[in-house]
Amino acid sequence: MNHMFQGTRLFRAVGMTLALALLVWVPAFTQQPVEVSGRVTSQETGTPIQGVTVRVRGSSSSTVTDAGGKYTLTAPADAVLVFSLIGYRGTAQSVGGRSTINVALERAIALLPDVVVTGYTTQRRQDITGAASTVDVQSIDRQSGASALQRLDGRVAGVTIEDGGSPGSRTTIRIRGISSFQNNDPLYIIDGTPLEGRNDSYLNWLNPDDIASVEVLKDASAASIYGSRASNGVVLIETKKGRPGRRQVTLDVTSGVATPVNGYDNILVQNSLDYFNVVKTAYQNAGATVPRHIYGDPNNPSVPDFIWPNDGVGQSCTAAHAATDPNCTKVVDPASYTFTSDGTGLIMPGSPGTNWWKAVFGSGDVRHANLSVSGGGEDNTYLMSFNYLNQQGTAAYNRFQRGGVRVNTAFNVDRVSVGENLSISREQGYGGLDDNGLGEDNIVGKNIFQQPVVPVYDIAGYFASGKAVGLSNLTNPLKIAFSHQNDINTNDRMFGNAFAGLDAGHGFSLKTRFGFNLQQGSFHGFSPITPENSEVTSVNGINENYFLATDWTWSNTLNYVRAFERHSLNVLVGQEANKRTTRFETGQCANLLTDAVSERFIQDALCDPTTKNVSSAGTVSSLLSFFGKADYNYAERYFITLIVRRDGSSRFGASNRWGTFPGVAVGWRLSNEPFFSNSGFFNNVMLRFGYGVTGNQLIPSDRIASQLGGDRGDTFYDIGGGSKTSITPGFKITAIGNPNLKWEEDRSVNGGLDLGFKESRGSISVDVYQRNSNNLLFAPAPPATAGSAAGPIVNIGKMRNNGIDFSIGYKGTIGGSTLWSATLNGSHFTNKLVQIDGTAAFFFPQNIIRDQNPVINQIGYPIGSFYGLVADGYYTDSLDAAQCGDGNPSGQCWADGARPGRIKFVDQPTVLDSINCPAAPGCVGLYRPDGHITSADRKIIGNPFPKFSGGLDLSLRHGDWDVSATFFGSFGNKIFNEEKYWYVFRYFDTNVRKDLLANSAVLDGPCSGTTCPGKLTNANATYPRVDVSDAFSRQFSSYWVESGTYVRLRNLQIGYNVPPAMVRWIPVARIYLQAENLFTITGYSGLDPSLPVPEQFNAVGDARDQYHGIDQGTYPSNRIITIGISATF
Amino acid sequence: MNTRKSNRLLIGMAIVALAIGVTYACKDFLNTTPQGVLNEDALATASGVEGLLIAAYRSLDCSSSSAGSWGCAASNWVWGSVTSGDAHKGSNLGDQEPVNEIETFLWSAGDVQDYLNQKWSQVYDGISRANNALRFLGKVRAEKPGEINDAEANGIRGEAIFLRAHYHFEAYRMWENIPYYTETDVDYKKSNVGVDVIGSLVRDLDTAAALIAQNGVDPLPRNGEVGRATSWTAKAYKGRVYAYAAAKTPVYWDSALTTLRDVQANGPYALETSFDHVWTGFTQFMNGPETILAFQASVRDGEPSGWNSNWGERLNFPHSGSHFGCCGFHQPAMNLVNFYQVDANGLPLAVTTPNWNTTSALGDTNFAGGNLAPVDPRLDWTVGRDNVPYKDWGLHNRSWIRDASYSGPFSPKKNVQENAANAENNVGWQTTQTNDVNIHIFRYADLLLLLAEAEVESPNGSLANALTIVNQIRTRAGQIAQGCGKGFDAKSDSILKATYAACRTDERMAVPLVQAGTIDSLREPWALYRIGLYPSFPTQAYARAAVRYERRLELAMEGQRFFDLRRWGSADTVLANYVAVEKNRIPYLAGVVYATRNHLYPIPALQIELSKVGSQDMLVQNPGW
Repeated sequence: MNHMFQGTRLFRAVGMTLALALLVWVPAFTQQPVEVSGRVTSQETGTPIQGVTVRVRGSSSSTVTDAGGKYTLTAPADAVLVFSLIGYRGTAQSVGGRSTINVALERAIALLPDVVVTGYTTQRRQDITGAASTVDVQSIDRQSGASALQRLDGRVAGVTIEDGGSPGSRTTIRIRGISSFQNNDPLYIIDGTPLEGRNDSYLNWLNPDDIASVEVLKDASAASIYGSRASNGVVLIETKKGRPGRRQVTLDVTSGVATPVNGYDNILVQNSLDYFNVVKTAYQNAGATVPRHIYGDPNNPSVPDFIWPNDGVGQSCTAAHAATDPNCTKVVDPASYTFTSDGTGLIMPGSPGTNWWKAVFGSGDVRHANLSVSGGGEDNTYLMSFNYLNQQGTAAYNRFQRGGVRVNTAFNVDRVSVGENLSISREQGYGGLDDNGLGEDNIVGKNIFQQPVVPVYDIAGYFASGKAVGLSNLTNPLKIAFSHQNDINTNDRMFGNAFAGLDAGHGFSLKTRFGFNLQQGSFHGFSPITPENSEVTSVNGINENYFLATDWTWSNTLNYVRAFERHSLNVLVGQEANKRTTRFETGQCANLLTDAVSERFIQDALCDPTTKNVSSAGTVSSLLSFFGKADYNYAERYFITLIVRRDGSSRFGASNRWGTFPGVAVGWRLSNEPFFSNSGFFNNVMLRFGYGVTGNQLIPSDRIASQLGGDRGDTFYDIGGGSKTSITPGFKITAIGNPNLKWEEDRSVNGGLDLGFKESRGSISVDVYQRNSNNLLFAPAPPATAGSAAGPIVNIGKMRNNGIDFSIGYKGTIGGSTLWSATLNGSHFTNKLVQIDGTAAFFFPQNIIRDQNPVINQIGYPIGSFYGLVADGYYTDSLDAAQCGDGNPSGQCWADGARPGRIKFVDQPTVLDSINCPAAPGCVGLYRPDGHITSADRKIIGNPFPKFSGGLDLSLRHGDWDVSATFFGSFGNKIFNEEKYWYVFRYFDTNVRKDLLANSAVLDGPCSGTTCPGKLTNANATYPRVDVSDAFSRQFSSYWVESGTYVRLRNLQIGYNVPPAMVRWIPVARIYLQAENLFTITGYSGLDPSLPVPEQFNAVGDARDQYHGIDQGTYPSNRIITIGISATF
Repeated sequence: MNTRKSNRLLIGMAIVALAIGVTYACKDFLNTTPQGVLNEDALATASGVEGLLIAAYRSLDCSSSSAGSWGCAASNWVWGSVTSGDAHKGSNLGDQEPVNEIETFLWSAGDVQDYLNQKWSQVYDGISRANNALRFLGKVRAEKPGEINDAEANGIRGEAIFLRAHYHFEAYRMWENIPYYTETDVDYKKSNVGVDVIGSLVRDLDTAAALIAQNGVDPLPRNGEVGRATSWTAKAYKGRVYAYAAAKTPVYWDSALTTLRDVQANGPYALETSFDHVWTGFTQFMNGPETILAFQASVRDGEPSGWNSNWGERLNFPHSGSHFGCCGFHQPAMNLVNFYQVDANGLPLAVTTPNWNTTSALGDTNFAGGNLAPVDPRLDWTVGRDNVPYKDWGLHNRSWIRDASYSGPFSPKKNVQENAANAENNVGWQTTQTNDVNIHIFRYADLLLLLAEAEVESPNGSLANALTIVNQIRTRAGQIAQGCGKGFDAKSDSILKATYAACRTDERMAVPLVQAGTIDSLREPWALYRIGLYPSFPTQAYARAAVRYERRLELAMEGQRFFDLRRWGSADTVLANYVAVEKNRIPYLAGVVYATRNHLYPIPALQIELSKVGSQDMLVQNPGW
């Protein structure tokens, strides 16, 4: 039913878009294009100006003037040509049938120069000596992800993006690997205002249409101007600004439909009786009695008419059935149905096979509109934009929407410029589903593993679930989605800055900027009763929370620019202060009088007032910084940049809070040397080298001193014992402080080479780097004997990243009118722990999954390496399984749980035995195996990071048509497929993989308990023997680790530029059709090899990077087909 | 023009200078105060120290908003009961599978580790909390003389040291080879090799008793709060420690005898008058004279999830056909049920019939109400059986059982609140399964039976004293039997009254068993209750057996038996005999072997790894693991 709705939505969406398209695409006479040429000169000097962009207004066809100021392009006869160059006032000319148009440009004060912003100042792209990547904004515009960050995937060498498919999914961005046990999010600078930290790192509030440029500073020599917080790299985003010239109105509308790239109905058993076969085999193989619950006689199983709750004997018992089956003693009478909160009166029918995936997942609309108005006069520029996005999840009842307004204005008053950039936005997520909801607790995790015999609804139309013996104790996933449809996550943000600048003359300019980042968030959640579950929850409840963050940054800079003869100098000094305060409040109440959405408030009359609970928390942190930077070049041949920054952070103790972060970068443009032949293949050759130090302080604030606290559910106690309802306050040490905390330091070396060839049609850029992170901030897990307080955060560890990033591009033509371009970017890095605390060789992250720990941080290996036993096929017979060395009491000794047909684990040489070794079998050096499979036999079994990842951007333009495609590939990474808990090992009686029974290990005889004459017949089986008593095989091991390699067509787009004359009142419109994630090539057996980083935060900080590549039941990526129109008026 | 320009430049420079100056002038700009947390000074007060001590008491049950689960429940049902032949894990096969492995002695299986780690972490967190209270007490006494007077300081110090001893004892029962931590320790990677745990326990308990005695109100609990240890709690606990120590070093039986006799003769403890008052949700019966140390569970205390209730027992209720709804764990074993059969004299069948378990007249799997083979009345306060009133909730019914074919038809009962007691919670998951029934950690009947053991085992003991104690326990057990009660709702009430006509007029949950002033029998329509006294203990062996039988009958399902079996050195034979028969009723017990290495639980691998100093494990694994 839900599915049908989604189908309707699809039609409606497509229809609306087409209607809109027709509205603007009124047929008109097409004007023949004419060839226009001309010359652009300076109004002041009359000299030709090179590099002026000449653009057909509203279209993407443009050209650039050559050294003689000349240009030629083809434009419709009624087109308008726009001439622009930074530093000059733009102008526009109607073609009006002319074939020659000469213009003279007037110099303007650069309000916001169109050069690369590299930290408080700007640089010409070609003068940059550090490792910085400019993102092709046009390319990211071709992606429809709600987040600007999602769109960067595969487009910047050395930058990896991880996200999930849920609407409003959180995006995690990592630049050049991982350098910290703490937060590894880059620092974002949006229009000069910094933004960082857990709540700010997802940028979902930022409208991607507003982005004018994205610059990624990857190495310390480029980033150390942001010293303190730059060790994870810096992402500089400038939003679009108005341009002097005529008002321009742009409207972009897209409408698309998303479907999941893969579904569990492709993977799991869909037929109830097929599933019963698995159950039956599992019991028989264990030597246990096959249960008669639900399916009746195991030799003649049938799907019951009714699955009678709670009986456990004869669920399929109807009057007719009772006549023939003596086990059927309790006749199910549908007329007796009563809906009660304890579920005792429910009756549900048996299903021949419920497609749980389709019950929950289908298609979702993605719609978006953006309107912007921009322009400028002699002394001002303005841009206003309005944006709305509505993205439905592919899962039922979840949705993300965002609306925003942006105002960017700037005024020049003589030599003073003032202005502001302001963005106000609201994001709302419905359905309470985000990337926190991985794993077992939501519709995408374990709960899609409902058995096929369970129907979606019971006989009265209420949700059905596993309320019978043998059905597992899961919740109906559609019920979860339905119940949480009114759970709203709201984020309001006011972000921007006000600035004033003074051109003080003689090359001096001053700028002061007050940036603000105000955030207000809230969540409203509801938890329903679940009478249909095996484990009933009979009390409902609501919870809500509010979050308030105030973050301001005031920066003041003085800039000196001087060019004399062939010297060019740019000096900047500045100072900055930042303060952030946050406050969080949460409240709950249970047992609502009614569960109507309008009555979900925490009020005495609406719920049980004795269950009301409220609490709040907050943080304050501040930073103070002083910095300076000097860029010098001689004859555009020799470049040098010197940077120093000094930062103080309130997170550290008084004696350690100041850190100094220097950087130096040099460059040599060989192609500007006299000896370089300009007529050769290469026209640009630049060598770059940089070294710098950056810092990281993103630990939970206030960890200098020990913290004490208490909680009613943890330290308070009814010591009086009498009333039974009163508790006495108690306290404990909750976190141990370290007064000596200091900056984490990242020292990085970068060498780069930029090549331009074939008259700059082709370019190659390669960077090789090493990053050494020292004094890593982290909190090693203390032994339990130290108590439960969070251990002190210390600065001891060291980590190293080595890598290479490259980008190769070429723009070519076929014939005269077909343009093509290809850009390949790729990166490789290795991450290695060098030191932990000076003595420990490893430590475990603090979170474990279902009683087992899949990862370890160990010296010599990458952070978050997969860890477990090493699987080596299956035990073949009882002698093989009965491995016992020391202490073998007598007779056969079974390593606990080892049996033929179960996964065989390698018994590692762990016992020092200099007497028998190295001669004894299995010895490695003087160590021999101990004959038992224990936790000591665990090893590193996989690396979650790719050996290579890269993107390929292709585009082709012919006349009014253009086609582009983007591929992304990740190679050599491993995935720890934690979903095997369910679909292979059937933990909690879940559904299983379709081929489980057919491809599992088989013995030629029985094997139950220690009686086991059976021998393995198929050593190549995919799965261990299906055996309900097998808890041995599911120990975390290399069996769970799979290749995560995949290649995905991220985007394919076909566009058509509607010629201007076609629609009289629209100068130009572009209509396009695009498909995202159209296909994926992968060997991964789970849903989707593209995995988001799980949210893992705790008292000791941000642990996300210790959990890469673990598939805990991820919302699969979306395949989105979109139709869009972009029109300019 | 130039002047104007210069002026502007000056103004601009001034603005920047001002900005820099203002920011820099705020010297305190980088001194932020931690928000919403307490610092050490805030708690270096009398109330701070008292609060730290409260938190140390709170660890008596590990389940809390910060940690814990079934693996460290105060009752030890996982480690002391399901491994002992008293109970099965219960529920169904898939739920909490690690407990299946614990029950079947497969303790090296990977997923048992988390359970082991919970227990280890909980006891050492308790120790850490107690030691922190001691540290802060020392700090306050040194820095603020007069803040806490001497009597209070002695009381606080004594209680904290007592708690530290208790938690170490819990660790000792589990692992034996453990490190011992006091408030002066700063190295948390101490070795567990060659530690004199018994010596430390005795020293701490002696110190605790002496200090608490000087608190000005002893033997009453400080502040009148019954949850607190008194000097007698510490003395009684010392007797328990000696009894455990005697398992390895029999000479300790004499110390146990002396200590426990002192508590018996001079202490404030006594048996409850009626067995059903021992485990109860009725406020008026809680913390009676039998309580030595209990976790004081509370509900409706403003805590939003119910963490302070009987959280560790939360799974141990009948399943979804019942009022409770979930989850059917900790189901009594058939072996245990059979053990409650009595002979014509009301003595355990086991006394006269060695193969009591196989020749049971009660049937194996369907021993239900209506079968009138005589039983000890404690059976129906300990085990829920079909067609027998389940306290005052109506008749226990097969639909209350999650999967009888998996682990039998019986339900736990002691930890279940009475319907009339209003002991249920109103928040969290699940309100019907969280109650304020206190969890006994050490009760007087337990102590008396340890004394009876000492009387039997010590050369200075007296079999006559042992006989007196066992009969004292039995006399109390013979006071009251399960009565009709009521159904938990109209439907179950009508079933109860339709099944047993007598229940239409008699809604008492507990009915007197004593007829005409002697211990006798009571015939209810669902059961024949009978209990008799031992006329004599003719031999030491007879007395030993009788005391051990009584210990099982009295303390069944209370998490003690596995540790008792190990103390007695009889775990191998008892559990082998148990499995040999029970496997015919519970299929998964086939092939289960209790091996020598099961004598001690394995130390959690994670803690061994975390104890590493360089490449050296400071914690050494127990033998065989």
